[in-house]
Amino acid sequence: MTEATLPAALRVEPLVQGDVTLAGLDDHIRGWTERKPPRAWYVAITITSLTALMGFAAIGYMLYEGIGIIGNSVPVVWGFLIINFVFWVGIGHAGTLISVILYLFRQRWRNAISRIAEATTVFAFVCAMMFPAIHVGRPWFPYWLVPYPNQRGMWVDFRSPLIWDVFAVLTYFTVSLLFWYLGLVPDFATLRATAKSRTRRAVYRLLSWGWVGNARQWVHYEKGYLLLAGMTTVLALSVHSIVSMDFAVSQLPGWHMTIFPPYFVVGAAFSGFAGVVLVFAFVRTVMQLENYVTMRHMDLLNRMVLFLACVMTYAYLMEGFTAWYSADPFVKYIFANYVFGDQWWAGTLTIFLNCVLPQLLWFPKFRRSVPVMVTVSAGVTVGMWMERYTIVILSLHRGYLPSSWGMYLPTRYDFMILFGSIGLFLTLLLLFLRKLPVIAAWEVKPDIVFYQKQSAEAGHA
Amino acid sequence: MDRRPEFVTDPVTPPTEREPVSRRRFLSLVGASAALAATAACVPADSDTIVAYTKKPDDVVPGVANYYASTYQEGLEAYGVLVKAREGRPIHIDGNDEHPVYRGKTSLRAQAETIGLYDPERLRAPRVAGKASSWKAADARVVPALKAAAAGGKPVLLLTAAAISPSRRAVIADLKRAVPGLQHVAWEPAVSASERTARQALYGDAAAPRAYVDRATVILAFDADFMGGMEGAVPAIAGFAEHRQPTRPGQPMSRLYALESRLSLTGSKADTRVPLRPSAAAPVAFALANALHARHAVPLPAGLDASVLAPFTLSGVARQYALDGAVLSALADDLAGAARSALVLAGPSLPVEAHAAAALLNTMLDAEGHTLDAAYAADAAPLTTPAEMAAITRDLGAGKYAAAIFWEANPSYAVADGAGFGAAMAHAPLTVRMGLHDDETASRCDVVLPVNHWLESWNDFEPSADLLAVQQPLIRPLYDTRQGEEILLGWARALGAPVEADYRTYLMARWQREVYPKGAPVTFDRYWTAAVHDGALRRDAKPRAARVLRGDAVAAAARTAAAAKPGAGLELLLAPDVRLWDGRYGNNGWLQELPEPVTKVCWGNNLAMSSADAAALGVTDGDLVSVSAGGREVKLPVLVQPGQAPGAVFAALGFGRVGGVSGGRGANTFALAADDGSAPFHRAEVKVRRAGGREPLVRTQTEFGLHGRELTALWTLEEYGKKAGPPAGSKPLPTLNDPLEWPDHKWAMTIDLSTCVGCGGCEIACQSENNVPVVGPEQVGRGRTMHWIRGDVYYVGDGENPRVAHQPMLCQQCDDAPCEPVCPVAATQHSADGLNEQIYNRCIGVRYCAANCPYMVRRFNFFDYTSTITDPLDLAFNPEVTVRPRGVMEKCTFCVQRIRNGVQIAKDEGRALRDGEIQPACAAACPANAIVFGDITDRTSRVARAAQSDRGFKVLEDLGVRPAITYLAELRNPAAPKTGGIHD
Repeated sequence: MTEATLPAALRVEPLVQGDVTLAGLDDHIRGWTERKPPRAWYVAITITSLTALMGFAAIGYMLYEGIGIIGNSVPVVWGFLIINFVFWVGIGHAGTLISVILYLFRQRWRNAISRIAEATTVFAFVCAMMFPAIHVGRPWFPYWLVPYPNQRGMWVDFRSPLIWDVFAVLTYFTVSLLFWYLGLVPDFATLRATAKSRTRRAVYRLLSWGWVGNARQWVHYEKGYLLLAGMTTVLALSVHSIVSMDFAVSQLPGWHMTIFPPYFVVGAAFSGFAGVVLVFAFVRTVMQLENYVTMRHMDLLNRMVLFLACVMTYAYLMEGFTAWYSADPFVKYIFANYVFGDQWWAGTLTIFLNCVLPQLLWFPKFRRSVPVMVTVSAGVTVGMWMERYTIVILSLHRGYLPSSWGMYLPTRYDFMILFGSIGLFLTLLLLFLRKLPVIAAWEVKPDIVFYQKQSAEAGHA
Repeated sequence: MDRRPEFVTDPVTPPTEREPVSRRRFLSLVGASAALAATAACVPADSDTIVAYTKKPDDVVPGVANYYASTYQEGLEAYGVLVKAREGRPIHIDGNDEHPVYRGKTSLRAQAETIGLYDPERLRAPRVAGKASSWKAADARVVPALKAAAAGGKPVLLLTAAAISPSRRAVIADLKRAVPGLQHVAWEPAVSASERTARQALYGDAAAPRAYVDRATVILAFDADFMGGMEGAVPAIAGFAEHRQPTRPGQPMSRLYALESRLSLTGSKADTRVPLRPSAAAPVAFALANALHARHAVPLPAGLDASVLAPFTLSGVARQYALDGAVLSALADDLAGAARSALVLAGPSLPVEAHAAAALLNTMLDAEGHTLDAAYAADAAPLTTPAEMAAITRDLGAGKYAAAIFWEANPSYAVADGAGFGAAMAHAPLTVRMGLHDDETASRCDVVLPVNHWLESWNDFEPSADLLAVQQPLIRPLYDTRQGEEILLGWARALGAPVEADYRTYLMARWQREVYPKGAPVTFDRYWTAAVHDGALRRDAKPRAARVLRGDAVAAAARTAAAAKPGAGLELLLAPDVRLWDGRYGNNGWLQELPEPVTKVCWGNNLAMSSADAAALGVTDGDLVSVSAGGREVKLPVLVQPGQAPGAVFAALGFGRVGGVSGGRGANTFALAADDGSAPFHRAEVKVRRAGGREPLVRTQTEFGLHGRELTALWTLEEYGKKAGPPAGSKPLPTLNDPLEWPDHKWAMTIDLSTCVGCGGCEIACQSENNVPVVGPEQVGRGRTMHWIRGDVYYVGDGENPRVAHQPMLCQQCDDAPCEPVCPVAATQHSADGLNEQIYNRCIGVRYCAANCPYMVRRFNFFDYTSTITDPLDLAFNPEVTVRPRGVMEKCTFCVQRIRNGVQIAKDEGRALRDGEIQPACAAACPANAIVFGDITDRTSRVARAAQSDRGFKVLEDLGVRPAITYLAELRNPAAPKTGGIHD
């Protein structure tokens, strides 16, 4: 019995569609790396790189003049820069979750989207890692955070969560980069074989490490890929847990919560998936990848977004419950302040965008509607930024002593740096789309074979 | 006096052979006159090479501070100060321990004068006709004019500040002999004329009595901020503190009633505070007098008939001004009960009638001569009144004067019609400015002569008849300046008067003639040196005859008060600002940035009004309003102030100085003062209207509610009995950590909130000691104040008339400090003697420590704040404290430099550390001695005993951070009004 003979309800939608062939996939991918990109690409990269430059100019001015040009104060000693850091680390979670955890769960639908998801991880971490370095008061000394034997005779304090952060983030970035690169190796070999220019061929040769694709290489490769995936899984859970400890280890009401590690991991995955949906909503049409990244893929991604939105809602409710149940007046006050305080809009917006809006995705029609998914995902991205705003700023600005309550007044430089980091992320993404294989061809090809076989059977039937 | 040099490891003299410090200081002062100026003070601003001493001055050991007694005059007050100098430069000012009045404390304004000395914007050389010039050229311009005036008999105006220096008065008299037309006018803009007028009328003598707050058990203050902006605030705070700290329930405590329109510092400490518009002060006080007479049979002074007081009854004024009659009744009973231990004070800004009523109460209660004593009052310094100043302005404009000399006083800023005065100056053929700054008056003068700062000057003062205070220079003049007296002497000599050219010689000669007792057992030189060393000289003076209150004058005042009709509009009260006073400190960044103690506004003044009045006008905090009175108009931002009496508004004087540090912040409210002979700082009716636009208030604290949090303790005396409990920290919270052990010392502090009045003196002392930078209004507005110790203020209870809880907040030096484990680079650590140390060199500025500090006392250098400190202001830095660069965290260190110094001295001398030997700057400066510091492992130390108080509590103790500071609960002793209504 074949699929085609099953009742419609039991039929599984194929992972590829339309007129796809193995050679066609290679040609399609190669086409983007070999051809001159369309004018839109130039327009886009001009805008994004200028935005990034604006951010770097603001950072340069900040390095010159001092951290005071942004809105930080006492009591709000951490501001946009820390929010941005947590935000980008969060965005950088989808790659690993899609590539690694779904890989371990043998979810074949992740094959077509894993490459871009991993790329977002790497680029998000590039953005994220910038922030701890520039947010310090003396940005010429952040290397003091790294424990190595030095002539200063100084050692780091391992009790500080910020040191854990250094390890967590650097490890996660290294492993993500390796994982991404490992996946690219067979595709580099494909590009090497067909690249027109000598230089490009030489570069791809170098990058593909003598990959010839024989059975022995594949056996080792797949084993290695699986092992690395196993290691990365642990990191995907640990990195944001540790970032959350920057807050949870402190004694500040609103930060000092045991729920933070899992809650941050879920939040990170949530914003990461939303980020991936946003990227694909545009990339799949612009780069004509509809046959490989189908509406079924988008549907599944949106189901993940919906699922995570529900977990987030649960986490928010638990947080609120803990605050109430603790009977601690400081904690109770701060949680009420999130939604009823001076900046009630921050907490309210967070809840609306992260909990209410994604409920649209219960409807299959909306899960497959590009405008709806763009709205929801953009909302979640903003909402998760707002959530970090609520946690970082709204907790700090109303601490224990009302006498030192204050407000965070962001300056134009805060916004320049925030948008600059978005510009940097998009610039890197555009360069990636232009020059590297955007689809893990070696992973999708089995799906094409399967699809062809299925279609052939359907034709016979 | 227990001040010691810091590095005892002097390579030359082994510690054991060292002479006692007091003797060494004495010897150092033998040569003080010449040696000090010639050698020690060699820090000219232009030296750019460092050359070691080839011959070491006897009294200067590099690295060891010297202390010199001196005196600082401000208005009619002469603060006894002790100035700390390092390598010849003054760096810190404290009170003179040996001064009989100030007892080691001084006003925060005097403390801030170190940066007044090093102010880069001081005048550095004479200026003639707008061009930099020389003394010779300046004299060549002035002397002929004086000669011509002397020959032609034309008047010459000499406008100065109050001359409470007998030697200065002598110099002026000498000049007047040479220039017979010299008209000396002393103008103190912040000294209210109404109080002096009232004294003159009531007693026939304007001499100011001293208020002995320490003798008072019931104090009634009518708009009298006697612990804030009023003269004598420093001894008043100390005196107040004496009766505010019962050590066990049941002990007596004084009671302070404040009936006032603005919420003043004094009102914020009141046991019972009643918002009362200024015009109601006199009726209420007369009603109290009436009640005392009628109910308690207290006789009225001669010449005052009871019928005059008949219109004033407690029930009547209670009805008229919507007051709680029971409170007034209780007040009358308390006053009667306290009798001569009562003290009634009327604020200097209030009109004459209020002063008459207060004087009546004091006389009736027999407080006169006890809590209020004029026995040794100095002769009233002749001061001109605003009305006379208006007349002088007219004369000046009419070209009456051949020349006008302005010394210290700044009339083109600090008179009601400052602009008019400035314009009138143009009509004098010659105008001469003798001052420190290129201020509003100097910019209009033909000849500008820079004078010495007081820390560069010699002088004497006679604040009371039994006291002579000496001022000695700490440093050679930084610039090409001369002391004002010396300028006058120079002119007198040029006009042929036989006077000394040098003021020090003149001063000593006068002392030898007039002060040095005939037949004294010591030579004059020793007598003089000892007087200079002590800074203050007690003299045998005959007490004045007791003042007699003129009943007819009181009756006249009572009739005026009875006839007064309440105005329909808003009533305005002005008062000198507790920081900028009459505006002379406009260029002092420390004082500009020090928040007003109750409202926490800095960098500018405002119009305080009640919420009801603000609502009626439709304005809120920071909205600009225009206030007009007497034909002049001033724009001010609104401050909606809880506790402000409805119907009355308040504005501080001293702001709106042009240029410099002040940069025009605030508005010059002298323009609203009356100069028509009525009380200058009280306007019975002003017009306030919205001016449009906003000028946000710059505040260091924006939230004043406690939000139900138990952060401080404000108990009534009654509650004390119930709430007093075991001392804080006696039952430590359970912990898994090892118990802490302190092998040598464990530094701790207690702060008695009952005696702390929140004056802000500790903040300035800390700023001076620890090189705390000034960040400016924009940065303060962003919440980046740098004060290591701040005065937190909470408004408790009634939103319209709250009780105010002051709570100095500084690093609590927690034993389990939350800031320490979160620092990734180990820049904040715990010392073996219990200090939470901040290591600036290690700090990279991640600011996690600040986020994790429950007390938010950590301060961050968001910019390179010290880069604005330009030569010579950097000389004011304390060399013992690191100047922090941009990007590092800082906070209170318990003045670790003083601790290490004290411990080292004890070690060098081979003895145990004595309790009280080490004093952080805040504790040393606290006029109430509310801050006690010491080693808590020493069971007998003051701090250990204070920490055992049954009033002790720690802030946020439940967090388990184990702070080292114990606060003692504030006690209030409010009136207990009897139910059953009012008896008249």
